[in-house]
Amino acid sequence: MVRATSRTTFRARRVLLAAAASVWLAGCATVTPDGPGPGGVPVGKAAQDELLKSAEHRLVVDCLDSRGLTLTARPRAPDEDRVLQAALFGAGPRELSVTLATGATVTANDDGCLATARHRLYGDQRRWFRAQVTVDNLRAEAQARMSADPAHRAALARWTRCASPPGRPRSDRPDPAVAARCARETGLEDVRARLEAAELVTVRTLRRDELTTYRQLRDRALRRAAELSATTHPKKGSTHS
Amino acid sequence: MKRLIATSAAALLAVTAGLALATAAGAAECPSGEFCVWQDANFGGQRANWSGDDGWWESWISDTDSSWANHGISGPGIKDHVQVYENAWQGGSMTICLAPGQEVGYNGAANDRGDSHIWSTGC
Repeated sequence: MVRATSRTTFRARRVLLAAAASVWLAGCATVTPDGPGPGGVPVGKAAQDELLKSAEHRLVVDCLDSRGLTLTARPRAPDEDRVLQAALFGAGPRELSVTLATGATVTANDDGCLATARHRLYGDQRRWFRAQVTVDNLRAEAQARMSADPAHRAALARWTRCASPPGRPRSDRPDPAVAARCARETGLEDVRARLEAAELVTVRTLRRDELTTYRQLRDRALRRAAELSATTHPKKGSTHS
Repeated sequence: MKRLIATSAAALLAVTAGLALATAAGAAECPSGEFCVWQDANFGGQRANWSGDDGWWESWISDTDSSWANHGISGPGIKDHVQVYENAWQGGSMTICLAPGQEVGYNGAANDRGDSHIWSTGC
């Protein structure tokens, strides 16, 4: 989408990129009910995930490139890595913040290349952050609720007795084989499977607004990603067209 | 551009309940490509960091974890999310799942409970 045709200085190119991004951002500040985008959005979830990751990666690489940085697998000196961290993850205040039902307050910066890439793909960084963090932790939320269930507490107590035989100190980390055997024998495995499934249904109902937002913004990002892969030059790391 | 983001963000903030503004500046000090866990809240005290999985954290950090940061680098086919579990070998409940760039300065419920983590393509 960024069509900087500048062949001038690096700085001029950066300004142009920023200007192009501003125009783009202005366009997506208002949520419009886009119709189905051009083709190129795969049907399967795995392929969709890959498309999103590829697009995000490409935007991040382009953003870092505009700051004179590259992502390489080679080890970096601490100072060098700090520069990359700041460019990638942000250097300003952690302006994105969501407190989950589990008690965790998840935060992120909104000024790094990663945040910029997500903003371009998902259109609304704050709404996407809230939806993503919530949906990503539905299982954690369901498991936290499950832990409070009396049936789970009872099964866990049986498991602890099984995994820590009398006369021996209680072990938080029994042998994996013993832990698995005890989970089967004490019924903990079955109780967990049953309760977790039920709690997931409850949690998905509780968080239906976030789930709806998640789907909407993901669909939008898929269309953007498909457009991006169709319209940008195939040369890796290039933002010129 | 910054002002533009701030303006639209402020407008959205009004309709998005539960959002709070954090004040700490800058991302946590955690090498790029790694998952970091600190003994103290707000990324303080001793830090453990991994680029891979660890099914059984060393004793000094297990059950003493108080803040977390995923500085994984994303890319096609790369496992970039981190799942933290309360028991070794990804056992017990998952306490948190973090995408790249996400950090948790403190969590009353998951504080001092982590024993293992695994990188995954999603949560």
